[in-house]
Amino acid sequence: MPEKPLVIDSLTFKYKTRPELALEDVSLELKQGELLLIAGSSGCGKTTLARCINGLIPRSYRGERSGKVLLHGREVADMPIPEMAQVVGTLLQDPERQIVASNVFNEIAFGPENLGLPRGEIISRVDQALSRLKLEYLRERETFNLSGGEKQKVALAGVLTMNPSILLLDEPLASLDPASAHEALEVFRSLADEGKTVILVEHRVEDAIEAKPDRLLYMEEGRIKYLGPITDLPKEIDHTQVKLPAPWVVRRVKAQGATVKEPPKPPVQERGDPLVVFEDVSFRYDSDLPFILENVNLKIFPGDLIAVLGPNGAGKSTLVKHAIGLLKPTSGRVLVEGQDTRKLSVAQIARTLGYVFQSPTHMLYAPTVQEELEFGPKNLAYDPMLIPKFVNESLSTVNLNGFAEYPPLGLSFGQQKRTTIAAVLAMRSKILIMDEPTAGQDFANYTHFMNTMCDVSEDAQSVLSANFAATLFITHDLDLAVTYANRALLFGDRRIIADGKPQDVLKDEELLLKYRVRPTSLLRLNLSLLPQTGRFLPAESLAAYAP
Amino acid sequence: MNNSSTWEFGTRQVVYGAIGAALYGVLSWASNFVPLPAAGNVTFRPAVAVLIFFGVAYGPWVGFLAGFIGNTLGDAISGWGFFWNWSVGNGLMGLVAGLVAAQIKDFRAQGDIVKAVIYGIVGVAVGMLFASFTEMITSGIDFNTALVGYFVPAFIGNAVVTVILVPILMIAFAAVASRRGR
Amino acid sequence: MLVTWKYRPRNTFIQRLDPRTRLLFFFCVIFGLTLPDIWDYRVILPLFAMSLTLYLLARIEWKDVKRVWLFIFVLVFMIVGLNALLSGRGGPASVTNTASPVVFEVLGIDVTIAKIWFALTQVVRMITMTLLAIPIPYTMDPNIYGTAFRKLGSSDKVSFTMDLAFRFLPTFARDFTITMDSQRARGYELEKVKGGIASRLRKLAPLIIPVVMQSTVTGEEVIDAMDLRAFGTNPRTWIKADDLRYKFADYIMLGLALILLVGGFVLRFGLGIGEFFIPDFFTNLFL
Repeated sequence: MPEKPLVIDSLTFKYKTRPELALEDVSLELKQGELLLIAGSSGCGKTTLARCINGLIPRSYRGERSGKVLLHGREVADMPIPEMAQVVGTLLQDPERQIVASNVFNEIAFGPENLGLPRGEIISRVDQALSRLKLEYLRERETFNLSGGEKQKVALAGVLTMNPSILLLDEPLASLDPASAHEALEVFRSLADEGKTVILVEHRVEDAIEAKPDRLLYMEEGRIKYLGPITDLPKEIDHTQVKLPAPWVVRRVKAQGATVKEPPKPPVQERGDPLVVFEDVSFRYDSDLPFILENVNLKIFPGDLIAVLGPNGAGKSTLVKHAIGLLKPTSGRVLVEGQDTRKLSVAQIARTLGYVFQSPTHMLYAPTVQEELEFGPKNLAYDPMLIPKFVNESLSTVNLNGFAEYPPLGLSFGQQKRTTIAAVLAMRSKILIMDEPTAGQDFANYTHFMNTMCDVSEDAQSVLSANFAATLFITHDLDLAVTYANRALLFGDRRIIADGKPQDVLKDEELLLKYRVRPTSLLRLNLSLLPQTGRFLPAESLAAYAP
Repeated sequence: MNNSSTWEFGTRQVVYGAIGAALYGVLSWASNFVPLPAAGNVTFRPAVAVLIFFGVAYGPWVGFLAGFIGNTLGDAISGWGFFWNWSVGNGLMGLVAGLVAAQIKDFRAQGDIVKAVIYGIVGVAVGMLFASFTEMITSGIDFNTALVGYFVPAFIGNAVVTVILVPILMIAFAAVASRRGR
Repeated sequence: MLVTWKYRPRNTFIQRLDPRTRLLFFFCVIFGLTLPDIWDYRVILPLFAMSLTLYLLARIEWKDVKRVWLFIFVLVFMIVGLNALLSGRGGPASVTNTASPVVFEVLGIDVTIAKIWFALTQVVRMITMTLLAIPIPYTMDPNIYGTAFRKLGSSDKVSFTMDLAFRFLPTFARDFTITMDSQRARGYELEKVKGGIASRLRKLAPLIIPVVMQSTVTGEEVIDAMDLRAFGTNPRTWIKADDLRYKFADYIMLGLALILLVGGFVLRFGLGIGEFFIPDFFTNLFL
């Protein structure tokens, strides 16, 4: 095809339902076989730009559009959907929502089926896509039982069967663990090498550069702030908005000459009696099913801020569900403040231990934030006179003052997340457990969230340590463990593999890789500077030590 | 909500018909494990409110498919078999409720909520009448038996659920819808 | 809680039949029996035997259906009992024929020979139909429903709605479980929900709202995903359509189904057979 795959010319867009421009004067050209990385924080316009490229704007989302979007020289707004679908293939953020069939074969065949292609042609396209992505072993499987990484690849195969020349990947790493993300990025690179034009929308720049993008497009407030090669990024790119590799952050901080205050050293605490004790805990759902936990021993002490790392499906969630009593051990026992969980109801344990599930949408239900926060304390039959005080205090702790009368379901994702934390705060539990606290949020938002929770100032404790005797969080994000935790647990193969200070647990790269935890640039930089720093620090603070 | 006509049938209706059906099926099936309020031979199935809500929010086709397929699915995963006339009856419940969809402007407004609940109750009546009367024909029972044995308990249970839970769902939906850019 | 389909592949005569055959057969028997209003035990008993044979051929394990049958029996006896108690009407008019001798009296209602025979016939007739209804989810592969309905003549969109519903079912069951767990972690105890009907229903909101509202958000993205893969723009190819083929046994069963359907009408309206009647041997039992 002679024309360039994609030409965007002074594109501007405003959603009908919103007052501000979502895109302003965006121009861009892409060559065949080029891999473009589009980065920016949420609300920067990258999702809107993606919708303009795949034609959802103006078809499904109404608003005012001006400028041009040309696919191989043809205006996207004028192309019939079947044609457009064969030029741009879109992989949506959450494969869970992209997959529309119950089994893998049907999922991959879905697009060609819709085009009304002959059966033989469809079968050969499906088999091609399966072998291209090395997914033959999944051909007859149910989509529901696939792992996150497998779902992603199956969804991609379903896009490839349409033979698109342009691939649009919308935050494809969001729901993957680091090892799966790494594999996915290699696939994206190879697709570009085969001549597809690949557009990768991703705020985790550090991870995305593994796909060796030819260029980076950085957006803020609907405008292009930078478009150019990925090496030697200019200062416009704000390292607090997108996640850059740690050495880049250090260079930037040094170049700016700003002094970054080092977080104060946490006070050394006496180890009190353990709050939660796992004694030789083994668990399986049924006597004919395999064990998920085997002989787990663990003590959670006051002052602990524990990050639990490990591959998906290793049993991390099963482990913490035992602490709250949602699951009871098959053998061994779990003690919460000295009492066996077998003898306690979940509601009784909830007074000691608050559990924040991964997705706020799984728990928010009430018409107002106020009622949402009263739910727990009322269930636990707290003194009705005290409940309003608990509710108000937790609201101000998570910075949601003034939102008491808002409907939680109408809040932004980050606000919803903080509402779920407040809901646990209001129950006055002593221990906070969070499952993937950063999932679903972009880098800028989750950094802000974690800083709000964990930051210690000279004269005050952090929100976490002021309100909870101990905190434990499960995460894929190794940097969270590096930056915020004072204890790390590596979990794999049904048991605890390593337990201790982050700098001790995380120093063994081979061990980490064995359990699908990929060392990050921040970890490596911290390890190399450890003799000087004596502890792990966030990237900005390392600038003071780095040569 | 969207200004398409009441009887439009496109991707949107397919997706919400399927989602409504899956939810209705799952929640009906969950009733096997979750203790439900009951009085005499009337059981209150909260799943019905979800069905009526899908009709109200997404129109008559969605209501019908959610009810018909959802009831079939619920029976299937509970292992009951296939009772076609009850599936059609459930479909009619959703369909009639869905007739109000085009009139609902604000899911929080009292007037709109009352309208939705009224259509919901009429839908419950129509759907359960259909199912009960087909039982009359197929089982050879008389009118009184159909009324006392099938219609009245089903109607009362479902109508009460509609009155109580549909408004709660609508208010929650108003908040969710406010976040959407479409 | 995980949703598990009741379907299991079994190499049985029933499961080798085309699903369309089985659905058509099911409806032919029901309509052949009910539309012409057949109440003659001489017609019903052979049909019952046939249904029972087909049921047994499906080889469904008893432990899977024990609970269902228990429920069905209670329902059938309650409804039949209620019907008899309330009048004995509903079926053919001759049941309430006062000429039938009274066997005994309950609660001031005369129980006649006609009523007893009618009740027996009614039970067998209802179970004849139930025997065909129960095996369907156990013996039909959920992955084939959409295709089967498409090939029975429903539209692309309606048929796909069915497939998509099957796709989402386990997802929502899992979401429901997660919501249940997360509310329990906030001290919510379903067993302890008290109060009147209204307040007890309202207290189910924490379980229902999150799952339903999340699904409405999911839907918007699924619509995008399907539009972007050209759903609904052309007449669809159904890749599994060729898996469905009528074979010899299907034609036999379809022929039988047609005979039963037409036969019901012919018997009743052409030959005048099939009306309710009480056999002499039964009357003689009481005389």
